[in-house]
Amino acid sequence: MLLSLLIFLPLWYALVIALLPDNRWIRPVSLGLSLLHFFISTALFYQFDPSKPTMQLVEKAAWLPTFGINYFVGVDGISFWLVILSTFLTPLVILGSWTAIQDRVRSFHICMFLLLTSMIGTFLALDSILFYVFFEASLIPMYFLVGVWGGPRRLYATMKFFIYTMAGSLFMLVAIIALIFMAEEQLGVMSASILDFYKLDIPFVAGDWLNTQTLLFFAFAVAFAIKVPMFPVHTWLPDAHVEAPTPGSVILAAVMLKMGTYGFMRFVLPIFPEASEYFAWLFMLLGAIGIIYGALVAMVQPDIKKLVAYSSVSHMGYVMLGLFALNIYGATGGLYQMLNHGISTGALFLLVGMIYERTHSRMIADYGGLAKVAPIYAIVFLIVTFSSIAVPLTNGFVGEFLILLGAFAADKILAGVAVLGVILGAVYMLWAVKRIFFGQEGKVLAEHHGDMDMGAREMIVMAPLVLLIFWMGIFPGDFLHWSKASLDHLIDNRTHYELNVEE
Amino acid sequence: MEIQFGLIDFYLVAPALALFLFSCVPLLIKVLRGNVEQNSFATLVYGYVGLVTAAGLFAPTVGTERTAFEGALVFDGISSFSTAIVLFVTGIALTFARDSRSTNPRQFTEMVFLLLNCSVGMLTMVWSNDLIVTFVGLELFSLCLYMLIALSLEEKLSKEAAFKYFVLGSFASAFMLYGISFIYGTVGSTYLPEVFQASQNLLGTNRLFLIGFILLLLGFAFKISVFPFHAWAPDVYQGSPTPLTGFMATAVKAVSIAFMLRLVAAQAFTVERVWPFVDALQWVAVLTILVGNVGAFRQKSLKRMLAYSSIAHSGYILIGIIAAGIGGASMLGATGVMFYVLAYSIMTIGAFGVLHMLETRPDSDLTIEDLRGLGSQRPWLALCMTILLLSLTGIPPTIGFFGKFILFSAAVKQGLVWLAIWGVIGSIISVYYYLRPVVAMYMEEPLLARSNSDSKPMSYFAVALLAFLVLAIGLASEPAVQVVRASLIKVF
Repeated sequence: MLLSLLIFLPLWYALVIALLPDNRWIRPVSLGLSLLHFFISTALFYQFDPSKPTMQLVEKAAWLPTFGINYFVGVDGISFWLVILSTFLTPLVILGSWTAIQDRVRSFHICMFLLLTSMIGTFLALDSILFYVFFEASLIPMYFLVGVWGGPRRLYATMKFFIYTMAGSLFMLVAIIALIFMAEEQLGVMSASILDFYKLDIPFVAGDWLNTQTLLFFAFAVAFAIKVPMFPVHTWLPDAHVEAPTPGSVILAAVMLKMGTYGFMRFVLPIFPEASEYFAWLFMLLGAIGIIYGALVAMVQPDIKKLVAYSSVSHMGYVMLGLFALNIYGATGGLYQMLNHGISTGALFLLVGMIYERTHSRMIADYGGLAKVAPIYAIVFLIVTFSSIAVPLTNGFVGEFLILLGAFAADKILAGVAVLGVILGAVYMLWAVKRIFFGQEGKVLAEHHGDMDMGAREMIVMAPLVLLIFWMGIFPGDFLHWSKASLDHLIDNRTHYELNVEE
Repeated sequence: MEIQFGLIDFYLVAPALALFLFSCVPLLIKVLRGNVEQNSFATLVYGYVGLVTAAGLFAPTVGTERTAFEGALVFDGISSFSTAIVLFVTGIALTFARDSRSTNPRQFTEMVFLLLNCSVGMLTMVWSNDLIVTFVGLELFSLCLYMLIALSLEEKLSKEAAFKYFVLGSFASAFMLYGISFIYGTVGSTYLPEVFQASQNLLGTNRLFLIGFILLLLGFAFKISVFPFHAWAPDVYQGSPTPLTGFMATAVKAVSIAFMLRLVAAQAFTVERVWPFVDALQWVAVLTILVGNVGAFRQKSLKRMLAYSSIAHSGYILIGIIAAGIGGASMLGATGVMFYVLAYSIMTIGAFGVLHMLETRPDSDLTIEDLRGLGSQRPWLALCMTILLLSLTGIPPTIGFFGKFILFSAAVKQGLVWLAIWGVIGSIISVYYYLRPVVAMYMEEPLLARSNSDSKPMSYFAVALLAFLVLAIGLASEPAVQVVRASLIKVF
């Protein structure tokens, strides 16, 4: 029951928002509802047993039995944190957009709740078609978020985002259909359940590109790679991120990109074990290229938001590198880095949004000497920067360290390249910090004499994120032990992966 | 020869008779009162009563399998399902027609008469079990359509469209009749069960029969605007009054596809001699999808855009027909086709319905620019349009997604993965042009002031109902799939 509540309650929240009589109530009510949802989601901490690698709190009901499609949801150590991340960030985003979104406030909050439903649904779905439905449905509210509340080039950006993601996932749909029939052949019944897909024996021929497992593997991998996004299919991301309004960027970076990496962990690695081992080098290579490429391009960006967007490409490259190292360090680091990236990049987008709201400029060159007029802002920004460039004691360090550990075990050369990326990451972030906060007073400071520092509301938004950055950096065990059993199970039994279910 | 009709025969065709009778009532009243147009609402009510009576008379025969008039008509799953679609779509089209700007207020009675008789023709065709009856039904509804198009208040394009449709339609009918004559010449009968029985043997051995069979299929290919017989569709769809465009795009296709399914059910595609033709048909499907989607990509006029998109949808359906035929009447393929026809009918007539509500003049030809700002000016209408367009794109959880899912499943199941992939490529192209109106509605500044006085409440209700169905049948597709399967189970 809990999981269904988590998925579908936001739809009711959206309805409540739609029916509110007074526009002034929308923001408070929406904040209250999203907080309520976060508290409901914390019930997972009590009901989820981290010692077992099984699918827990499972619910199953027939949906389209003719094709073996069920409403089938459950949570394990891999999806656990991603669900919490979604419910945790939504109230922060709503509070963060309190003053930024002035136009069509009601529709905006409805979109946020629709997005929440589709995100949680994606992470909890255990039926491939149900997963696909949520995966695709999440495009629609994001499409509107970027298209309606976005920047000047929003129409181009939102269309590109939609078509890229849709293009990848439609091929995945064909692959899912093929797997459903394969299940009929091998298991006797049509089934779209992911857990049944794990049991399939999909023929694989090494060295031959046109065999069943390779084709299906790539159909899935390309869909998720676009979502992650991996080099070279990342080009929609800078456009979408830059044009999206702050809340859109935060959710897009923090949660929606994780749908891609989550897809790799849930579908690609366990369903196609031979192919993912055979092509691991390719994905590690692309991950490493993404790390370096993202960092280099971020370095030369004049626009802060674009810089953060390209840093996302770089960070998601680490996640891919870790996942395809195919060992426990890489996988753990990959999962941890997903959360880290959600928190640090989400925080960076929020911070960029705050300053943009005041000055209406995102150009690094317009700033300088901001630390003098906005000291608290500068401190918070620096902390988040440290998290982003993986300074020890922050969460980023734990994630990147584990990933590099895993990568070294798998491929020393690529791991070496990735280490180079860590240095480059420090270069572009710290250089940007230097240009924004220190040195000569820039153009915008001369023009704006208002209060530049963070207000109380903004501090409340940032406080939990800063707290988490240190908590996750100093006591990673508090977080990792929830996922450990599932990750161990995934890596140890990768070639004959099976998941049991528990009510 | 002694021919005997039982009362039961008349009972079975009662829906068509009822439609015909009720279509005459308003016309008679008008004539008897000195050719003065009566209240349009009253006329509409006669139309509705006719449809409801037809549906009421038809409902008890659902699920039974009967023939009437010495086997000339057959009442099985396919015909009941198509009957339901035809009656439903006619009702929606009537609603739109009354509100339409291009409907001549002095000729609404005639319009109702023709629309109802159009459905009589369609019903005759889907019930037909004899090629001659098929042809009579086809001609009946085609003739009604030609006149309906020409009735428009719009002076130029509609007349051109009517004439174009008439000339090309007659051409296609001639082809079909030629094919029927070949079939009669070789089989010695036009009775479909006999033709089907003979076809297994004759398709392989008799070249004349094969030609006749192919010509018959080509006639239907024209009606569902399959490449290379698609060129008429954009012009005719654009010129016709919008409610009729919606009617044509849905009902005509639904009944033609139902008939094609019958050919498939007769296992015509499994004969080895036909295989080259089936291979060609696969390419036709691919090209139809490409021509439709690429064509729609470039259109400014929304009606033309939807016309091309309907060509593309014919291509998707053709995939299902091939999949149903290639494995010797596969149930899955047929289910996919029927379900998609249902989905396609709902969403397409809905989309045309929204367009017609926005038209301000008889000769309005809405472009994407005209939709600008609709999201803030008429939010509910924009929401309906968005849902319908998302469904046409095939985005879950709408009915359009499940339609495509079943069609592609059928293709994959029959080993036609490459067709499914072409379908996917077509869908990707379609994302762009289906979402462009959404962009205009929500994300661009309003171009013109819109008044709410012109709200057309009945059309509004119909559009909202269709949008609701798109979501509801999408979310609860199992019952719909079961209905479709049940209707096909005896035929396949």
